Amino acid sequence: MNCCSRRDFLARGLYGIGLGASLPMFLSRTSAALTAQALQGTSFEKHPERILVVLELSGGNDGLNTVVPHSDAAYYRARPRIGIPAKDVLKVSDQFGFHPSMVGFERLYKDGRMAVVHGCGYDHPSLSHFSSMSYWHTGVPNAGEPLGWLGRLADDHLSPGTRNLIVNIGTSQSLAVRSGKHSPLVFDDPARFRRDGTDDEKRAIGELAGSSGATNATLDFLAATARNAADSSDFVRQASAAYRTPVDYGIGNAFGGGLQRVAALINAGMKTRLYYVAYQGNSFDTHVQQGDVHSRLLMYTADAVRAFMDDIARIGRGNDVAVLMFTEFGRRVEENGSLGTDHGTATPMFMFGANANIKGGFYGQPPSLTDLDDGNLKMTTDFRRVYATAIREWLGYDDAETILKGRFGTLGAFA
Amino acid sequence: MTCQPRRWVLLVSLLCLPLAAVTVADAPASWTGDLSPIAAADWTYDRAAHLLERAGFGGTPEDIERLARLTPQQAVDRLVDYETVENSAMKPFEESGVWDRGMDPFPPSRADAVRQAREHGEALGVRALPEGSSRRLQPVVDKFFYGLRANSIETQRLGVWWANRMLTTSRPLEEKLTLFWHGHFATGDAKVRDYRMMLRQNQMLRANASGRLRDLLVGILEDPAMLVYLDNGENVKSHPNENFGRELLELFTMGVGNYTERDVREAARSFTGWTNDVLAFKFDKDQHDFGDKTFLGKTGPLNGRDVIDTILAQPVTGEFVSAKIYRNFVRDEVPAAVRTELGRSFRASGYQIKPLLKRIFLSRDFYSPAATATQIKSPVVLVVSTYKKMGLRELPTIPDFGRLTSSLGQTLFDPPNVAGWAGGRTWITPATLLQRGNLFRDVLFADAKTFRAPDRLMPATYARVGDNLAKGMNITEATKDGTGDAESNAQLERDEDYNTRYASYRGYVAAFERTKPIPRHVADLNLAATVAAAHATTPEAVVDHLARRFLSVPLSAKDRGVLVEFLRGKSLTSESDLRELLYLVLSTPEYQVN
Repeated sequence: MNCCSRRDFLARGLYGIGLGASLPMFLSRTSAALTAQALQGTSFEKHPERILVVLELSGGNDGLNTVVPHSDAAYYRARPRIGIPAKDVLKVSDQFGFHPSMVGFERLYKDGRMAVVHGCGYDHPSLSHFSSMSYWHTGVPNAGEPLGWLGRLADDHLSPGTRNLIVNIGTSQSLAVRSGKHSPLVFDDPARFRRDGTDDEKRAIGELAGSSGATNATLDFLAATARNAADSSDFVRQASAAYRTPVDYGIGNAFGGGLQRVAALINAGMKTRLYYVAYQGNSFDTHVQQGDVHSRLLMYTADAVRAFMDDIARIGRGNDVAVLMFTEFGRRVEENGSLGTDHGTATPMFMFGANANIKGGFYGQPPSLTDLDDGNLKMTTDFRRVYATAIREWLGYDDAETILKGRFGTLGAFA
Repeated sequence: MTCQPRRWVLLVSLLCLPLAAVTVADAPASWTGDLSPIAAADWTYDRAAHLLERAGFGGTPEDIERLARLTPQQAVDRLVDYETVENSAMKPFEESGVWDRGMDPFPPSRADAVRQAREHGEALGVRALPEGSSRRLQPVVDKFFYGLRANSIETQRLGVWWANRMLTTSRPLEEKLTLFWHGHFATGDAKVRDYRMMLRQNQMLRANASGRLRDLLVGILEDPAMLVYLDNGENVKSHPNENFGRELLELFTMGVGNYTERDVREAARSFTGWTNDVLAFKFDKDQHDFGDKTFLGKTGPLNGRDVIDTILAQPVTGEFVSAKIYRNFVRDEVPAAVRTELGRSFRASGYQIKPLLKRIFLSRDFYSPAATATQIKSPVVLVVSTYKKMGLRELPTIPDFGRLTSSLGQTLFDPPNVAGWAGGRTWITPATLLQRGNLFRDVLFADAKTFRAPDRLMPATYARVGDNLAKGMNITEATKDGTGDAESNAQLERDEDYNTRYASYRGYVAAFERTKPIPRHVADLNLAATVAAAHATTPEAVVDHLARRFLSVPLSAKDRGVLVEFLRGKSLTSESDLRELLYLVLSTPEYQVN
């Protein structure tokens, strides 16, 4: 790597976008592009302009009814009532196709903008939502790791010194972004991300320094969060309010409208490298009568992701953004007695990018539907290989091993 | 001045207390982890205030004074033995009566209602139109959306009813415990879709809130809302559904790592046939698996109650549940010795909740520096306790209570998932921290003229349908909206046997007609009178009074100076100037803790 020191990198000014600056400057795409270009080859990261958006499908998405093995008789034997008939599947290969409601994914796949990784999971899988999700969040299964994998990536590794390196759109902070040092910016509705009041009131609130937290760590935490809010809220709100897009993200309000908000911030030149958005409320936990509800969830998801990828391309940042989508587990191969599915294990992961950099297609070995572990799929790809791929191949940060606390081979999904 | 004389006297007596004693942080650090009771001599106004914050929703200085005059034992007994406290002013929830014949069981989805109507010519108690009619299934789909919207409004009303009860009850711990159990046995109306079940669950939790854990477990495992929420109606012997058994073990009683996957499956088998006939528990013996099971080492033809008793025989159950109670009422970190001891004594007592609570509330540990002013208030507690400290006697409904707390991440009757609200620091993000202050500006400067009631608010996309129809458009024209290419928009405009967007519009209209509106009023607050009653006649005295009344930690000298400065040049008798000052106090990071 022909690279320079961290000090040089910091001196370059990190895109030159400060938080106090006014909006028109942010909205000029060229300045962001120019600074990004100026940084090419000067950082110890290969791609300091690149952004990773991580999407979570909470509840355990039924992978087999998402990426349907339409030529596998074992699939239809295990799912006589809820299996997706082969004639309805949106086929993208002789073996696999998407659920019929995922028109958006079919298009992304056929355009070569989508990678599907078969059989993702980890050894000794937990069938608990909360345990398994925490393993995916931390990237350290079957252990009590306190920080998230994206949080660790932000701590001293990716673009050191950048503020707001992580934006988590949601009403609460995900464990995935919990950091040791970095303070992720978490908000739900940008329009409400502001301090209300008269100028007089706001000035006085700004002067309040808070109590000493010498003996009370909760007060320290609150004071730090208050500073973060004061520093960033104006930028986020104004950038979001100014954003207009003709792209149709669909009606489902999938991801709580979070993907439009991400597009707005990217458009405004936010320095954020890592975005995190969850489809909340355990929505994908389809134990019962899953047909209609799962179809709707997948439609909303595919609509929103397809729209986001189109929108990002429209604003000229398509080549700088990749999306990684996961869920905490798949579901059992055999349908249950309630036209639904119970908690399972391995499940596909998805990555999206621009034609210029992602190599679309299927990756990894499809798990067998007959050689099962107590009724569940045996994982074929450790999910941390996908994380490693995002870290090394996409973000261009070499030391994935430190972040992921282990060595995981990458998939060759990004050019 | 409008306030009662008795209150006035108490406020004067409050002023006689030394102002320096604003905090209980002067307890020795050695009290941390010490479960022995505090002495009567240790009992102070500030410790009484701490107890009322945690075991209730805080209170006015008069409320705190009343507790402070008792011994610690008496104060704790009075809160915990709440059945002895007169509370007949609490009114039951008044239902609007939205559930028509034929609406039970409510179909799981619009598509399912349509399927029923295609097969049987009717669904939801409504007939499809004759073959050949245009949009022949429209009445059924209209009714489906009516059911969804009406239920959602009733659930909002239920939330307002409960919040008002938290504010006005004479038994604050009863409501605080009910809220705790609601988070522990988390059940959400978004999935249950039946406010009647949510109400019954709320009543069951309240009735058993401080009794025995076994009664709560039996109650919740036979509770229709929980049975629906965890799909146990679908747990049948031919295909056991594990959702219920898994969450029982993982979240309600033992915690992950203390049982095997096999135990989960055997528990599921034991609960087969536990289902509900709409609002009543039903044991369906045809669906119950009477075969032998081996659960946590015990073998036999176990049923659900056997599983509960087997769980209660595990030492870890006492520890898991008492530690969760401790985290709720004391602090996030449970010292190992405290966990062991509370778990042991809880189980030894036959899982009686009252003695456990009394022991916690009387312990030195509870009043140690680590446990005071270190907890972040949940949104519901934040809003209710603020109203309490303001001395309000009825819940303000402008702004809307449910909207206030949901903007901070908590909606009554709708926890995010079966694990309940994660609580603690997860309540705080940069955005919610700002919103936690902002919302009190909406309370203090409420504007009834511009307020729009969420229980009468139709989303714009459906309101447009109404506008279009009023302009004379036909249904097809009126419901055209998105011009985009998202699949979901295309589906919504499909206009064959029925029109979904039109049905949704009609559902809102009917639900607004048939639900009782939430009565709307702003906070009945008279800050000027409160300040006058406290004889606070200088900016310093006003700031000190409000800080003491509202904050659990003292202001720093600098912040006190900022607030005093803010008040200079303003009128100490002006209600709006005083409200501005209070807004600042409530916007401080310190206000988030109790």
